[in-house]
Amino acid sequence: MRLKSYLALLPLLALGACSSGNYQLFHPINAIATQEWHATIIDTVVMLVIILPVLLAIAIFGWRYRKSANAAYDPEWSHNTALELLVWGVPFVVVAGLGIYSVKTIYAIEPYKPGLLQKQVSADPQSVLNVDVINTDWQWVFVYPKQHVATIDELEVPKGSVVRLRLTSTCVSNDIYIPQLAPMIAVMPGMRTRDTFDAPVVGEYTGFGADFSGAGFSWMQFATHVVSQADFNAWVQKAASSPNQLSYAVFQKVAQPQVNVGAKVSYFSNPDPHLFDKVVAAARAGVVYPVSAKLTKSIGSNEK
Amino acid sequence: MANETAPTANTQLFRPGYHGHNQISARTLGFWLYMLSDALLFTALFASYAVLDTPMNAAGGPVASQIVNPIEGFWQTIAVLGSVTCYSLATVAMKNGKRGGTAVGIIAAIVLALVFLAFGVNDLATLAAHGDGMDRSGYLSAYFVLILTHAIHMGVGILWMLVMLVQIPLFGFNDMVVARMLNLRMFWQFQATIWVCLYVYVYMIGA
Amino acid sequence: MQLQVPGPWSPLLGRLTLNAIPYENPILQVTFAVVALIGLVIVGLVLYHKKVGYLWREWLTTVDHKKIGVMYIIIGLVMLFRGFADGLLIRTQQVLANGPHAAGMLGAKHGFLPPFHFDQVYSAHGTIMILFAATPILTGFQNIVVPLQIGARDMAFPYMNAVSLWLTTAAAVLVMISLFVGDFSQAGWVGLIPLTELPYSPGVGVDYWMWAIQISSVGTTLNAINMIVTIVDMRAPGMSWFRMPVFSWTTLSTNIIGLTAFPVLGVALALLGADRYLGTHFFTAGMGGNLMLYTNLFWIWGHPEVYFLILPTFGVISEVIPAFSEKPIFGYVTMVAATFAIAGISWLVWLHHFFTMGAGPDINGFFSVATMLVGIPTGVKVFNWMFTLYRGRITYSVPMLWAMFGLFLLLVGGLTGMMLAIPAINYTVHDSVFVIAHFHCMVLMVVCAGFAGVTYWFPKLFGFKLDEGWGKAFFWTFAIGTVTVFSAMFALGFEGETRRLDWTFNTAWKPMLVVEEVGMVLYVISLVFFATMLVVSIRNRHKQRLAADPWGTSRTLEWLTPTPVPFYNYAVTPQVNTRDELAWRRKYGLENTKPDVYEDIHMPRNSGLPVILGALAGVWGFAMIWRIWWLAAISLVGIVLVVIIRSFDKNAGYHLQPAEVEAMERDLAIGAIMAEQSDRAHHHTHAEAH
Repeated sequence: MRLKSYLALLPLLALGACSSGNYQLFHPINAIATQEWHATIIDTVVMLVIILPVLLAIAIFGWRYRKSANAAYDPEWSHNTALELLVWGVPFVVVAGLGIYSVKTIYAIEPYKPGLLQKQVSADPQSVLNVDVINTDWQWVFVYPKQHVATIDELEVPKGSVVRLRLTSTCVSNDIYIPQLAPMIAVMPGMRTRDTFDAPVVGEYTGFGADFSGAGFSWMQFATHVVSQADFNAWVQKAASSPNQLSYAVFQKVAQPQVNVGAKVSYFSNPDPHLFDKVVAAARAGVVYPVSAKLTKSIGSNEK
Repeated sequence: MANETAPTANTQLFRPGYHGHNQISARTLGFWLYMLSDALLFTALFASYAVLDTPMNAAGGPVASQIVNPIEGFWQTIAVLGSVTCYSLATVAMKNGKRGGTAVGIIAAIVLALVFLAFGVNDLATLAAHGDGMDRSGYLSAYFVLILTHAIHMGVGILWMLVMLVQIPLFGFNDMVVARMLNLRMFWQFQATIWVCLYVYVYMIGA
Repeated sequence: MQLQVPGPWSPLLGRLTLNAIPYENPILQVTFAVVALIGLVIVGLVLYHKKVGYLWREWLTTVDHKKIGVMYIIIGLVMLFRGFADGLLIRTQQVLANGPHAAGMLGAKHGFLPPFHFDQVYSAHGTIMILFAATPILTGFQNIVVPLQIGARDMAFPYMNAVSLWLTTAAAVLVMISLFVGDFSQAGWVGLIPLTELPYSPGVGVDYWMWAIQISSVGTTLNAINMIVTIVDMRAPGMSWFRMPVFSWTTLSTNIIGLTAFPVLGVALALLGADRYLGTHFFTAGMGGNLMLYTNLFWIWGHPEVYFLILPTFGVISEVIPAFSEKPIFGYVTMVAATFAIAGISWLVWLHHFFTMGAGPDINGFFSVATMLVGIPTGVKVFNWMFTLYRGRITYSVPMLWAMFGLFLLLVGGLTGMMLAIPAINYTVHDSVFVIAHFHCMVLMVVCAGFAGVTYWFPKLFGFKLDEGWGKAFFWTFAIGTVTVFSAMFALGFEGETRRLDWTFNTAWKPMLVVEEVGMVLYVISLVFFATMLVVSIRNRHKQRLAADPWGTSRTLEWLTPTPVPFYNYAVTPQVNTRDELAWRRKYGLENTKPDVYEDIHMPRNSGLPVILGALAGVWGFAMIWRIWWLAAISLVGIVLVVIIRSFDKNAGYHLQPAEVEAMERDLAIGAIMAEQSDRAHHHTHAEAH
């Protein structure tokens, strides 16, 4: 009886899961996110094939063998070799199957060299867009080495490209994440990581930092636009015409701890061509951008 | 239910006169378990040292081959093994019931341990004086902390020996004193073992 | 060598100044007022009833494993309440601070907590719940139940047991002090690196977090040694390994984990401490540090720690389900094997906490498969519990309800855990609230087992049952609250909400955030029911006369002792003839057979040193946090002196005479004395021992 009552609450989950388009992960845009979403579905279905019968059996046993039902009672039964082999065997088979599947999908989407995108990359190397991403306290700096432009808190990519992000941080660690597009990958000071995704559909998305990085962390969104090639070119022109140039000295000012309320976008022309490497080298040499105790305490209130 | 049989006339339900466990053997087992946890502590430190023992982690500062001195380390090894030997001789004297001999052995062990520590402290102090202290680089941090952690363990051992030097004349060789002496012997040998690992890994392979 | 810290420092008070007291914060003012009031009432009651001596003699200086266990559980419940209050603040902040137009108050731009405060709250919530609520509660059960269950009179090292308790207490007190003096860490319960380094966390918050955990983990390590030796050395005659109750097995395995994992945590925190205090470069990004070294070390402890919590939980469920199904556990041997399989695998999976680190596919693949392997023995356990129900005679008493709900949470947690084990899925939900919902399913299973255990073993210790009606009301509100909060949280994970946000920027999250808040209200109501249950039960305690086994269907040895358990546990050591000894005796009508003769019992004497040692450790921690070097030095010397003084104590203990034992057993049988009145016997025998 009681068991059934909370089983009855399960639909709450389903109710949550079935409603509208707010469920971003249910609506993958590109090949990477689609693969991730398929993995989610396959894993859930396989696991439910085991878990639902178990839940059902627990509910049935729990109901049928309640004391007041006076059902069959066997106070000694506690061992059955065949059953015990089965209870080890079934999870083993499931884990073996899911394990193989898991390893396969890792190679398909791994952020350095996703198997899913290799065909496109080798067929059309021109479609690869390299972007250097530098995480600061608490903004995202995107540097387009080939286009010679840079932005704060805006990632613009042309439709049909494969975007390869090089990631590092000036200060603490974070994760970069664009639901529906780019998998979460750690961004760490003094280290380089990569994230790769494709952009098959025009659209607007919100990316953000996912791993806590201090007081301004909640304000670390950045706009992500997938646009047509023409629009992208126009956008590069616009950014390139910015009077602000991102030399290393200017970057050091950008990297000072600050909250970009409302994730306002800034553009820079002529970024230092070695900016990414300089940032990595500086972090390794012990350069830090300290957050003062005063700043930590007053953040949020003085931003009004 | 496994092995279930019906009670018979001989079935016992209680065990009067059961004395339970031996306190000394429980303490010995407990001490072994403590040493297991201590071994894990050193494992984590050795692992950290191994991770940070690269030219990159030296951050422009000295690397292992530039700072370790296997010759000096050799004398330290001799001192520490000598200390263990002296302490073991002390426990032999204890077995023969000789308080004086035990005390002499312990004092010799303490002196040799102090010699060992003097070498180590001098080594680290010299490095620090040349600007290569533990705040110089990731590698030096690992080097200093590994050696200092071992040195602190040695210090605790010396303190323990001093306590035993008071307890032996005070209590004689009673059960607890003997048990403490034997556990201390394990502890002391364990620290010597750690030092040998440290010497091989840091001083010999590093040089 | 002392590193320059920002802000003033004086030799006398270190970094401590009047500014450290957050007197301008209204939330903390109210909290302080409430805490002070409760404190005054407790102190007042103790003084009014002239119980200071009683408190000191019977509780603060006790070495009785049952009282120590009770105190562990009380600490755990108090901290559980504190942690819950933090959770309530987090949930309320997130629902109030939703979207760019959310109103702000009390100095916050949105909601009522500025980041400075919110970040401390969520860090404290995690740290407290895992290390100062779940761990003490489970340690408390192990302390209370294991010696009884294996037929022992006490733990192997009763004095060290008290030391463990008071170290844990000292650490919990430090965490509480951080509320009112200075602030707590803002870098998560895991100590996100390099956020915990001095440039990014210049205050004392990280130091509070670090030293509190360090002190309590020394206590936990000592307790692990104690538990292992107790189980290995002190089982009653006849109790071979495979006659040992499952809870004792899980205690053994969990403490092997504790013994081997906690030193690694100690090293991780000590090296972080070296970075913060001595200027070393272990985990800094620059100067040759390696920040992933910290993350690896932390999770090499952190993952086994998860199983350190889960295994005793499995143990409690494995005791409760057979007792209320009136059947032995199905597949006992595979159950034990599964326990050790889980313990073993727990060492091989730590990297799954950072699949997103950017490691290569081979490494992630290995840890993905290793993580899934945990599913095999865990699945075995679920199947075994399921078959235990089969052809049982099930009574849904409160402990059974908790155990069944725990099972449900385990299945949901297992389902989502298998999802997270696949890196392809993990990349989309790694730092999202989906993970939070997953591990809350698991830790709430720990909480469920905690309440199952509290209700199940309560009458054994105190001689009266907790009120069944209020217990059920508490259970149902709690269970429905749990389902509400965490199904909404799973949904939010799919909506892309990440963790630790003090401002939830996406307005699409609002509906589910509101659902979560509704669930929190249910939790609050359930707490009221919990309190009512305690009050009603204590008021009605004299209405019950309980037999040795108040449930009538319990199976293991601990229920053979009189209820409430006398301080010496067993008047005569029992001989164990089979697994599920009590069920076997009941089957053949032997459960009430008393020993023919009584004999004298040797008991350890109480000692004030452990509580003094705990207090010194607390002072030392406080001094280190505020960098008051003279005080740290004095308290450290004090700790060493206490240990040395103890080694000069001959520790003879005292003897209870057979006639006294017989009289007490007789009194217990007719309900003439309660457990706490045993001090009568104490004073009597103290005099005789000399």
